[in-house]
Amino acid sequence: MSSHYSEDDLTLYYYREGRYASHRERSRSDLSRHLQSCAACAALYHDISSTLAMVVADEVPERGDQYGLEVWQRIRHRLPERRSGFGRFAELGRLAGFGAGFSRFFKWDRVALAGAAALLAVAAFIAGRTWQSPTTTPPVAGNLAGPGSAINPTTRGNPANSSGSDTARSRILLTSVADHLDRSERVLTEIMNTGEPGDISAEQRWAEDLVTASRLYRQDAMDAGEQSVATVLDDLERTLLEIVHSPSKIGAADLEQIRRRVDAAALLFKVRVMSEELRQREAAPDGRSAPRTSTSTVS
Amino acid sequence: MDATETAAVLARARQGDGDAFRALVERHSRSAFRLAFRMTGSEQDAEDVVQEAFLRAYKQLGRFESRANFGTWLYRIVANCSVDLMRAKLSRHDMSRSESLDETVETAEISAHGGAGPERLAESAEIQRRVRDALGALSPLERAAFTLRHYEGRSIEEISATLGLGTSAAKHSVFRAVRKLRVALAPLRSQVS
Repeated sequence: MSSHYSEDDLTLYYYREGRYASHRERSRSDLSRHLQSCAACAALYHDISSTLAMVVADEVPERGDQYGLEVWQRIRHRLPERRSGFGRFAELGRLAGFGAGFSRFFKWDRVALAGAAALLAVAAFIAGRTWQSPTTTPPVAGNLAGPGSAINPTTRGNPANSSGSDTARSRILLTSVADHLDRSERVLTEIMNTGEPGDISAEQRWAEDLVTASRLYRQDAMDAGEQSVATVLDDLERTLLEIVHSPSKIGAADLEQIRRRVDAAALLFKVRVMSEELRQREAAPDGRSAPRTSTSTVS
Repeated sequence: MDATETAAVLARARQGDGDAFRALVERHSRSAFRLAFRMTGSEQDAEDVVQEAFLRAYKQLGRFESRANFGTWLYRIVANCSVDLMRAKLSRHDMSRSESLDETVETAEISAHGGAGPERLAESAEIQRRVRDALGALSPLERAAFTLRHYEGRSIEEISATLGLGTSAAKHSVFRAVRKLRVALAPLRSQVS
């Protein structure tokens, strides 16, 4: 080749791409010979190769074995819903130990179940029309927002009749979440104060129990629009999971990692403040009148 | 996880089984992070890319060919999420670096005249800082194509398939990146050598 090679050709040659991929390719051997005889092309090639030799990869920051779990914890609430409302019951069933069969039951028999539910609704309606009695609504999960909330269907229907029972229900839930936070605080404190690395299987069993409860409370908090409560419970759940998934005979490094996470997230502080706030709201006359400034500062 | 088990997990994930998808996330997160970090050069951006990539993968699971390799498929998603994030950052900061060599040359000149002495330049950390700056001056597509070629050892055809570009576009993205780097690092090259 009498003329010079282009920079692009020399780049392909450097990377062994295309027609310059192998020494068996004539183009590559031609270019190799040309570089030995052409000072201009050799200088350009030297520029390219020495530039690219400087571009070495930065060391990728290390990610631990639990990284996948952390990613999952961060994204799982953002995954679009693919299941019907029965999916949650199936999940509860699975958590309660019914296993995959429970999920399959809900998957394949939801039509039958929907029919049964409709039948029950009709029966309840007829019973309600014919049998008036003083109502004492049993405490059910699903409302942290208190009376008057837009998300509370019973209040929307008849505030005068339902406000008392809603307040009671709300208080029960506030108490439950506050108790849950107190229990979690004790586990975290145990972990933070463990003197030496060693057996943490007792704390792990404790944390495992709390994880499931935390998840359900978080879902209820989100449904009720209690974002700051949900955020604290989410942080808590991640740390509890890390404790659960750590080796029972924990080493100094793993223990330090958990402690760093708790410290970095100021988790103990958040849990204490949130628990305190929920107790104040619980003590307030309408279950929600206590000032809520602290929730915004802890999340 | 062997091939049969992987196929079963994928099938369950495609049917909306959260636990199955979680297994995929747990298995592929670290490799996704490695690629995202190489593509973006930033730990925080890489974290964002990993999360976005899995969310995108979840939404597109229905389109995933069950015979294909999930890791390869996710690799493409991570690469494209990285490009999207870099583009979004570029437009947010209103940095109109649009494929111009001028700015790169200017940066190189400033470095040559106002930079540190040769002894300091010879230090690896300083070289790496300059290289990072030069990589940061590439357009998102150039950086992505260059990363895949230079760090990941992907062929032009593979880069083309990964980024959804024509072969020629992929090749020219690499060429432009190399040209810009050569200009940007010229002062460093002459002082080090």
